[in-house]
Amino acid sequence: MSPASQRTPTETANLRSAAASGVFGGRQTWLALALIAPLLICICVFIYRSVALSFQLSLMEYSLGSNTREFIGLSNYIQMFADPKFWRALWTSVVYVGIGGGLSLALGLALAIAVRKVARLTTLWQVAFFLPVTATLAAMSVVWRHIFHPSIGALNAVMEGLGLPTQNWLQQDFTAMAALIVVGVWSSAGYSMVLFLAGLTVIPKDLYDAAQMDGASGWQQLRFVTLPLLAPTTLFVVIIITLRFLESFDSFKILTDGGPLGATTTLSLYLYQHGFQFFNSGYASAVAMVFFLLLIGLTSAQMRADRRVHYQ
Amino acid sequence: MTMNRIKLQRLLSIAGSQVFLAVAAVFFLFPFVYMLSISLRPPNEVFAPGLHLLPNAPTLQNYVTALSDAPILRYLLNGVIVCLGILVLQLCIIIPAGFAFAYLEFPRKDLIFGIVLGALVVPGYLTAIPNFLLFAQLGLVNTYWGLILPFIGSAFGTFLMRQFFRQIPREIFEAAVLDGAGNFQLVRYVLIPLTKPAIAAFTIFSLLTHWNDFFWPLVMTRTGTMYTPPAGIAYFANAEGLSTIGVVMAAAVIVIAPLVLAYLLASRQFIESFTHSAVKG
Repeated sequence: MSPASQRTPTETANLRSAAASGVFGGRQTWLALALIAPLLICICVFIYRSVALSFQLSLMEYSLGSNTREFIGLSNYIQMFADPKFWRALWTSVVYVGIGGGLSLALGLALAIAVRKVARLTTLWQVAFFLPVTATLAAMSVVWRHIFHPSIGALNAVMEGLGLPTQNWLQQDFTAMAALIVVGVWSSAGYSMVLFLAGLTVIPKDLYDAAQMDGASGWQQLRFVTLPLLAPTTLFVVIIITLRFLESFDSFKILTDGGPLGATTTLSLYLYQHGFQFFNSGYASAVAMVFFLLLIGLTSAQMRADRRVHYQ
Repeated sequence: MTMNRIKLQRLLSIAGSQVFLAVAAVFFLFPFVYMLSISLRPPNEVFAPGLHLLPNAPTLQNYVTALSDAPILRYLLNGVIVCLGILVLQLCIIIPAGFAFAYLEFPRKDLIFGIVLGALVVPGYLTAIPNFLLFAQLGLVNTYWGLILPFIGSAFGTFLMRQFFRQIPREIFEAAVLDGAGNFQLVRYVLIPLTKPAIAAFTIFSLLTHWNDFFWPLVMTRTGTMYTPPAGIAYFANAEGLSTIGVVMAAAVIVIAPLVLAYLLASRQFIESFTHSAVKG
C-alpha cells in the first residue's frame, strides 16, 4: 500500500502527470475497475466469503452432505474446549513449532554463517541445502517413512551397524514426534539459511576485522556483531518458519497419520480429520476459526516485536 | 596477539566450518541418495541387510514398472494440467490488476489494495471447508476446475506485479503513446516484455507451490484418475507392499524430477524467488 502521505514527491508528480496527460485514456476509473474486477471477484468468493461462511458454520450443527443446518450457538466451541484431544493437538503443534521451528532456525543460521566463513563454493552449498525445499514433500515423506521403517529402514541399519538397539521409530510417541521434527527441519532449514545469508551479506566485513583485532573470539563475534545486526532478519525468518511449521501437514499425514494413538496429531491434522474424514463441517469450522485466531495472534505478536529489533 | 595467531585461528575456524557443512550435506542429501539407490535395486536386493547404497545389479526395471503398471503418467498429466491451468489464469488476473494498482488512479484505491493484501493472512485450512461445500454444490468436486479455481486470484502475485510495475519509469509508456501505441499494443509490446523477470519469479513460485500441494488435492479428489502427483504418490505408496518398494521409490523420483531438474538448472532464480516471496509466509 502507498498511502498518499508515504509517497515520494516524484511518485506523486508522476501520478499527477499521468492523470493529467491521460496516458492510459481519460476513463481511468472504468479501466481500473475492469482490470481489477476478476481479482476482486476471486478473492471475495474464495477467501472472504469462505471466512464469513466458516464463522457461520462454526455456530452450526452441520455434517457434510446432510440437508439440515441447525444453529447451536457456541456449542461447537464448548465441545472443542472440553475435548482433551483438541488440547493434545494444540500442545503437539506448540511442541512441533517450538522445537522443530527452533532447530530449523538454529541450523539455518549455523549453515549461513559457515557458508559465509568458508566463502568457497558458496552456490554449491546453497544448492545442496535448499534442495529439500523444492522437492515435493509428499514424495519425500514416503522416502522418510521408509528410512524409519522398523525392519528394512536405513536408520535401523545404521543403528545395527553401530551396535545400538533398533527402534520402531514411527510407532512410539516420543520417537515418532522426533522423527517428524527431523523431517520438518530437513525440509525447511535450507530456507532459513538462504534468508539468513541474505541478511548476513549486508553486515560490513570490516566489523569482523575490527572485532578480531580487538581480540574477540569467534563466539564473541557471533554474540556482539552478527546476532545484533542480524536481529531484523532473524525476526522475519522466525515469522516465516513459525507459519511454515504451524501449517505443516504433508509429513504428518504420510509418516504417522497422527499416530500412534494421536501422539502426533497436530491442530491442522485434527482439523482435517474432523472436516474431511468425519465430515463434521460445523465442528471443523470452529477448529479452523481457532487456528486462524492463533495464527493472527502469533503473527501480530511477532510484528510488534519487529518494531523493537530495528536499528534506526 | 600476533597476526600469525589470528591467521591460524581463522584457518582453524574455516576448516571447522567445512567439516560442519560436509556433515550437514550428508543429512540434507541422504534421502535423495537413498531414494535413488532403492529405485535402482532389483527386487531380490530390496531386503539386503545394511545400508547397501550401491546395488549389485542396478536396473531401471522399477522405472519401467512405475510408468507402465502404475498410473504415474496419469498423475503427472493431472499435475501439468492443474499447474498450468492455475498459472495461466493467475497471470491473466494478476498482471492487469497489478498494473491498475501501480499506474491508474481510482477512488478508494488504497482501501481496495488493503482488501487484496488482507487475503494473504487467511490460511488455506480456513477456506478449505466452505470452498469444498461450494464446489460440491456446483458439482465440481473431483474435477480440474475444483483443483484450479480457488488459487487463480493470487493476492501475492498481484502484490509482486504491482511492486515490479512501480519500478518501471512511466516515460517509457509515454514514449510508446507518443509513437501511437493503443492500449492493447501498450500491454503486448511494452508491458509484458518489461515485466518478464517478475513473471518468471512468480511462475517459479506458483509452479512450486501447486505442484507440491498435497492438502487441497487430497480434499478435492475422489478417484485415482484425478490425483495430482503428491496425492497420487501417497496413495500409491500405501497401496503397494514392501516387496515393491523399489517401484514406489522410482515413482517418487519421477514425481520430484521435473521441479528438481528445473531447480538444478536455475537454482539462483529458484532461491531468489523464495527469498523475495517470503513476504507471503
